Order: sequence, then structure tokens, then C-alpha cells
Amino acid sequence: MAICSTAFEVLGKAQAKALGYADLPISIVPHPFGRHNRTEIRELANKCVADIVALSNGQMGGNSAEKIHANVRASSVQLPDDMEELNRVYRERGWTDGLPIMPPIADKVQAMVDYVGRAPGEIVSCIAPGFGAATIELIAANALMAGCNKEHLPVLIAAVEAVAARELNLQSIQVTTNPAAVLLIANGPMVQKLGMNCGINCLGQGNWANAVLGRALRLILQNIGGAAPGLMDRSTHGQPGKYSFVCPENELQSPWEPYHVERGFRAEQSTVTVVGAEGTLNMNAHSKKADELLRIFCETLAHPTSNDYRMGGGNPWVILGPEHAAVLHGVGLTKADVKQRLWEDSKMRASRLSGIDMQRMQWERQPELGEVAPDAMIPICKSPDDIGILVSGGPGTHSVFVPSFGITKSVTREVVFPE
Amino acid sequence: MSQNILLIDPTTPSHIMARSARELNDGLKGKVIGFIDNAKPNFSYLAADIADILQKEHGIRSAKIHRKMAASVPAGDRAIADLAAECDLVVTGAGD
Repeated sequence: MAICSTAFEVLGKAQAKALGYADLPISIVPHPFGRHNRTEIRELANKCVADIVALSNGQMGGNSAEKIHANVRASSVQLPDDMEELNRVYRERGWTDGLPIMPPIADKVQAMVDYVGRAPGEIVSCIAPGFGAATIELIAANALMAGCNKEHLPVLIAAVEAVAARELNLQSIQVTTNPAAVLLIANGPMVQKLGMNCGINCLGQGNWANAVLGRALRLILQNIGGAAPGLMDRSTHGQPGKYSFVCPENELQSPWEPYHVERGFRAEQSTVTVVGAEGTLNMNAHSKKADELLRIFCETLAHPTSNDYRMGGGNPWVILGPEHAAVLHGVGLTKADVKQRLWEDSKMRASRLSGIDMQRMQWERQPELGEVAPDAMIPICKSPDDIGILVSGGPGTHSVFVPSFGITKSVTREVVFPE
Repeated sequence: MSQNILLIDPTTPSHIMARSARELNDGLKGKVIGFIDNAKPNFSYLAADIADILQKEHGIRSAKIHRKMAASVPAGDRAIADLAAECDLVVTGAGD
């Protein structure tokens, strides 16, 4: 049995069904549950007990679970060859991100599948929280809808492999009330091959590959993963990065080894890295002094509403503009040095968290930090190496802080293009 | 008048096949009830109160409460195995 607050009843039912228990009994309590006092909780406990008693007498729920016939081949639909009409149908069925789509015509999907030379029904992974099977064919269909061409498909296949890795924690990223999105970082020769933008406005609009790859990944997470807004996606506000969120590394402008090389790949390999990200924060700093830059970066990282500080299992990123990277490299700092300084100097006094969030932090980070006193200085994540460093962007005195979801580790996979 | 074209449905249902939960239709007396506390504010109180009422008024044998390390992580494998082995019914919390 599950106990859900009213605001999460829809998610509870959908999640139970996705996990194969369509008739899982659910006891409902008023939302927001966390605000009730002890007397009210006792009353709600009596209500839940009544449901448990009913369940124990066979009067609630049951085992007539709807049989889900998972088919690895995609379903098809016949629609008029009219862009407005088919866009209307796709939009009304909740199959789009709200923007017009390109039609995933069956023949074009097949042509895209043929390009990668894999079976259309081959399952790359099952995507939380709906656990739909991401087949090559379905990935291609969503890619076409986003405006991709066939050369983008291998990137998305690698991304779909990556998002299923347990350490990313996609289940929580997809259903949380937080504004969590999946940032896709690109490295290696494919950045040039696909004409991706790693320079001016690299996180913004205007580049085809950046735009459609991020959009396609979002459509995949929504349509195959089942995270439809207001249903299983419970984000209070969401964020613009949930339309498309891509950042290639500007490897030519970086004074250090590229990120994928840091992760053990060869420079000539292409990779995607998926990040459980909570948005972007501009760090505009005109200083040319490395110590001063690092100090103000650290003051930016430390904020009391951060999931990273509260949960401690995150992987926050700093996307350094090339000018800032040059300042840091100019005094002999390696990437590891920068991570160490960021981790040490961004420690935050525990009492900056709200009282209840400090209690939660004390529970959640107890295995890592032990007992945490209010005046203790807590790190943003478990170790310096959990801070990701990327060099991207164009000229200007800017870097970008990307806070993480709080319990997530970035995952990198190689992109394999057909011979 | 436009012709029809064949398009792909970009969605798909869960690939996890339907499963059956353990039947429970002979009351609570003597039963062991498990709880997975989702670590959200107040759920620990709710679980404790439910367990208390079930023991005092409905004769359950015992309650086992496992608190997750955080709401955003699954319950640990050991806790799941323990609850599955020991409990007749497990109650979990979802949401705020």
C-alpha cells in the first residue's frame, strides 16, 4: 500500500501502474502533508488505519491488475497529410513539448533506423519513471519530431544508455517537484562533425544540433519515460532547460584536457555526458586574479536553498568561460586544483539552512559527515571530484554555475557513428 | 483533400509486465506490518502513529519501520529484502 498526499495521487497511481501494480491500494492524505501538527497527524493515521483494515479484509484494491502488453515495436497512427492537423492531434494527445513537431512518418523513421544499422525493436534501455522501452525505432521517432536528422540518432542512443545508469537517479529527476532537467554535454570530434555550438551563446538558441538534440532527449524522457508535465512530472515550476539543454565543450579554447579525457576516454572518441541539473546561474566577474575569481565563485555556489548542500550526493558543475579558464590556468592551476579550491572554499555554515532543512541534511548526510552541529561547515558535495568543470562559451567575463539535483552523478557514454 | 500518412506513435507503455501483490484478506491480527518512511517531513510521525494504532486496536504482532536515507533515493536493497521476508503488508509514502 502507498500513502500519497492529494497532490501526488496521480503520480502514485501512474507509478504503481508503471511498475506493474496497477491496482496498488493508495491511501490519500491532504497536501501539503508536511505542514500538519501532531494532533492532525494522529487523525490522519486513523484514516490510514481504516484503509489498511479495509485492505486486510479484501475490501480495497485487488489483484485484477490490468495486463500491460509491452510490445517492442512502436504503434502507428494514420493521419491526414496536413501539418496543422497532425500537429493538433499530437499536441492533444500530449505527445509534444508544446512546440510544433516534424511528423515522424513511418518511412522516415525506418530510414533513420537503417542509418544506424540496428534492429528497430532493439531496446536501448527502459526509461524511468514510466519504464517504457526505448527502442531504436522510438528514439528515432522522437528525434524526427524534434527536427533531427539521421546523424543525430547515434548521439541520442548514447544519451538514452546514459540516462538509464542508476547513478544518474533519473527516477527522481523525472518526478521531483524540483526544477530538475537533464543537461547533455557533448565532447570529442562530433562537436565539429555535427556543427554544434560550443562558443558564443552555447547554452542559448540559434544552433540546429544543440537545439534539436536537447529537444529530442526531452521528448524521449517525456514520451518513452512517461514524465508528462502534471502527470508523472511533478515539477513545481520546471525550467527552460526542459525544452532543450545542451552544452558542448569548447575544447579548442580550454587550457586543460577535455572532460571526456578526464573521464578516461580518448580525445578522438565522441561522448555524451548527462547531468541531473537544476538550471544555470551567471557568474559575471571581471577580476583577472585567480584567487579572487575562485572566492566569488565559491560565494555563489554556497546558498541555503541548495539541494547539493542539503543532500550531499550531488554533482554540481561550473562551466568556465574561456577567459576565466585562462586566468585560472595562468597561475598554474590544474582542473583538479580548481575543483579542490571550489570544494574547500565553498563550504557553508549548516545553520544557513532553514531549521527543517538542516534536520533533513543532518539525517541525509549523517553517513558521510556524522553528527553535524549548526556551526559546522558543510561541503557542497562528497568530494572535490564530484564538482564538474567544463570550458565552454565565447569571449566575455562570464562563467556559469549549474547546481545539481542533489543526489545524482553525471554519466558519460561513447557515441558510436556508423562506419 | 489530403491523403492519410502513416506516422509513429512516440509513446509506449511500461515495459514491466503486470505483477500481483500478495493477497491479504484475513484481517490484521498477528500480522507484521512494514513501513518505508520516505524521509519527508512528518512521515515518521505518521508511520509511528499508524503502527501504534494497529498494535493497540487491531492486534498486529509487530511493525518494522525503515527510513530511507532521502526521499530522492530508493530504499536500500537490504531493507527491501528484510521487509519482503518479514512483513505481511508494507506501507510506503509518496509525495510531500
